[in-house]
Amino acid sequence: MNEQEIKSALKTYILNEFLPGEDPAALTDATPLMTTGILDSIAVLKVVTFLENEFSITVEPHEAVVDNLNTISDIARLVIAKKT
Amino acid sequence: MAILLQFALIAVIIDNWHLESQVLARLMWLAVVGFAIHHLLPQRFRLPFFALLSLVAVVTGVGHIGPNVWMGWLSGRISSSGLLYHFFPGLTLVAIGLGLIGLCHLPIRFAARVGLVAAAGAGLAFLRGHSQWFPDIADMWVVLGSMFMFRLIVYLYDLQHRTAPFSFSRAVSYFFLLPNVCFPLFPVVDYKTFCSTYYNEDWVPIYQNGIRWMIRGVAQLLLYRIVYQYAPLDVSTLSSSLDAVGFMLGTYLLYLRVSGTFHLIVGLLHMFGFNLPETHHLYYLATSFTDFWRRINIYWKDFVMKLFFYPTHFKLRKMGTIPALAVATMVTFLATWLLHSWQWFWILGKPLFNWKDFSFWMILAVLVLVTAIYETTRGRKRTLRPSRVTIRTRLMYGLQAGGTFCAMCLLWTYWSCQSWSEFETLMDAASKPSWSDVLVILGVFALVCGGGMLWGQSSRETSEGKRTTAARGPFPFWRSAVAVTVGSLCLLAGPSLATRTIPATKGAIARLHDDVLNARDMNQQRRGYYEDLDVSRKDNWGWQNAEEPEGWDKGKKAFVRPRSDFLLTDVVPSMNTVLAGAPCTSNSLGMRDREYQKAKPANTYRIVLLGASNDMGTGVKNDQTYENRVEDKLNAHLPDARYSQYEILNLAVRADSILQRVLRLEQEGFQYQPDAAILSVSAVDEQFIASHLRKALMQGIEPTGDYGDVVQSVIRRARVNGKMPAVMIERRLQPYVTELWAWSFRRFAQQCAQHGIRPVVMYRPAPADFAGLEATGRSKTLQLARAAGLEVMDLSPAFDAVTDRSSLILAKWDDHTTALGHRLLAEELYKDLLALLFSSSSQQKISPQPKP
Repeated sequence: MNEQEIKSALKTYILNEFLPGEDPAALTDATPLMTTGILDSIAVLKVVTFLENEFSITVEPHEAVVDNLNTISDIARLVIAKKT
Repeated sequence: MAILLQFALIAVIIDNWHLESQVLARLMWLAVVGFAIHHLLPQRFRLPFFALLSLVAVVTGVGHIGPNVWMGWLSGRISSSGLLYHFFPGLTLVAIGLGLIGLCHLPIRFAARVGLVAAAGAGLAFLRGHSQWFPDIADMWVVLGSMFMFRLIVYLYDLQHRTAPFSFSRAVSYFFLLPNVCFPLFPVVDYKTFCSTYYNEDWVPIYQNGIRWMIRGVAQLLLYRIVYQYAPLDVSTLSSSLDAVGFMLGTYLLYLRVSGTFHLIVGLLHMFGFNLPETHHLYYLATSFTDFWRRINIYWKDFVMKLFFYPTHFKLRKMGTIPALAVATMVTFLATWLLHSWQWFWILGKPLFNWKDFSFWMILAVLVLVTAIYETTRGRKRTLRPSRVTIRTRLMYGLQAGGTFCAMCLLWTYWSCQSWSEFETLMDAASKPSWSDVLVILGVFALVCGGGMLWGQSSRETSEGKRTTAARGPFPFWRSAVAVTVGSLCLLAGPSLATRTIPATKGAIARLHDDVLNARDMNQQRRGYYEDLDVSRKDNWGWQNAEEPEGWDKGKKAFVRPRSDFLLTDVVPSMNTVLAGAPCTSNSLGMRDREYQKAKPANTYRIVLLGASNDMGTGVKNDQTYENRVEDKLNAHLPDARYSQYEILNLAVRADSILQRVLRLEQEGFQYQPDAAILSVSAVDEQFIASHLRKALMQGIEPTGDYGDVVQSVIRRARVNGKMPAVMIERRLQPYVTELWAWSFRRFAQQCAQHGIRPVVMYRPAPADFAGLEATGRSKTLQLARAAGLEVMDLSPAFDAVTDRSSLILAKWDDHTTALGHRLLAEELYKDLLALLFSSSSQQKISPQPKP
């Protein structure tokens, strides 16, 4: 999977799981998710589970932080880093 | 310059309002000067300078090295070795701290380093538990514990995962954080956040936000003072459901002290470039239990999430989301309980393991868990753009905020109550609300709901929250600076303006202006979790040499002995001891007084004085009591030609209620053939009635005769018995106190009339009005006395000329009247006595007494 595919999968998941009914165009790669409360601590756990199942990676507890999960770009970067 | 001016204004406010401790006032000035230098330094020197400044603050703060110590050394009053001695505790702390940091960076396996740090921590904990072995460094342990007990764990975690840069300056700055020396209860600053937020944006908004948070902290600390001084926080005196709700509300609002100090601390750190996130966020308006957990002490929540919740959840995630969430939440709250006990140990020197704390954290855990599961399964509404909030949504926020507030208020009260009986008593008080009580309670609920409607949706999930640059608009510097400056000037000038324009506010402002114990703590020294950890304030008293010296009250038990009748106690005859730091002797007749013959000598005018500890002269020497001073003056001036001698026999006994005072006159006073009896009363004396009856009930002592009738009637109507908890008995008796007070006055008048004695009620003002009872208590007491047909001498003006009322109390922990107070009372009493008993017009009123 390339970066674009990862971002696309992430966007679909976040829209379906946390933002049903929202305009897909409003969710960009740079939309802050954790700092705006879209992803709270419990939602973060769900995202991590999704990442591990979808991309076959393992996320460590200290990696589930705002630096890695705040935007779709941040998350995609984490996935790519884990897969390489 | 505008920022420096605001910072200096905040330092002046802290100094002027005596906020926290004197050490804080000094530290603020050090920080103001340090801030100016720090800002002018090139960027690369700033962090080392902050580290150095923090070390200076630690060494001078722990060693209490202030201007007086330096002046003492310069003037030769303190020797050079004496000066060095002051440096010893602080330098020891720094040495231990550097040693602990060094262990974290040893070039060995990480697990071995953790083991070494744990072993060192255990050793230090052992020494903390036996701090009496090293009295010279006793002040150091609290600050050491506060700096390292949690931060070391965070530091090791971040060191293991290399989530932040590490250097000597960073480590010293992180552990010896400048304000920590004044605040043993310190926010658990995250190391990674500490590093990542250092000058992470332009300095102007960082500094100005710091100023705003400091002023917010100051405002919360002043609000705390109002709550602490004025909320009905003594369960035994609650007389209605409204009082009970006031107690619960007050207990919950006492947390303002913690949030206030945390805002002050983080604001102060902003002034040195640490753009740390908010520590508390509108926590009283949380809309659910999870929301409450996210808003109150955000640093703590982040700390336990990082260390316990995420690691546990990640380990158990294969169990499924809900089971893993449940276990991780319970583990997190269990850790919170244990770590709070750990914190208690480091600050107070003993661990805190009790059922009440455990149950509080577990109840909160279950409430948070249930809400979290609900949110996980049902989801919550999230939007990408700010959506229009409908009235219905706002109403829901309001009701949720009101409900969460009430539940947390109740839970917090349970946590803060000293015992289960106290909690039971509270529920007892709340159980029969009147319609007016219900209306007021609903009004308060509506107020919280209104707040929830307006601000309840304002939520934050992580420490970073909305503080990221991207989430913020242009910074309104001047608007903020003007608001802070105007607010500061109001806080500084307000008290003087208020006392000049409305003189009646003088007492209230004086009470809020100084850091004094409230009535409940003065009487009982009972406080909740955070109030008990309030050692910085105790340090403040220590700094003022106001700690209770050993043997202060060693004579308390020796001087008064128990009786098996309704009088309960009396003074041990011919006793010589120390009471409240002053020598205290009793005569052979069992009075705290000079020797007198039992039979009244010829040509003598004899007065018996009935009262309690202040009348007994607790804390002053024998010749300094007001009654002895008046007696001396009467004998020096001989105001009435018919008498060649005047005697005032002091029948006052510590904690005597008005019932005991009048009964003591009947059982003991009349046998001395007095010409007059003075019944001393003060505004706070009412409390003695309930405690007197409670003691009698619990000891199974029943009064006889008329006393028996009136007391039994009250006991029956109050539905109390000797097997109930003490606090509940006293609370249930509260509504009948005025009735007993009035009965006692009538009894006093009637008994004196029967014995041909002149009865006089003397109103004695309290030296310091901690309970704020003086104004209402005085008018009520005088009204009751006059209604019984009694003559009244009102000594209230005695202390009017005293501007510093603290000069009238013995010590911060003991509000008995000083020698100065006794002298002023004597002057007023002498004046009133002359007018009432010995003026030409009054002599006609005196009942003709047969002279022996």
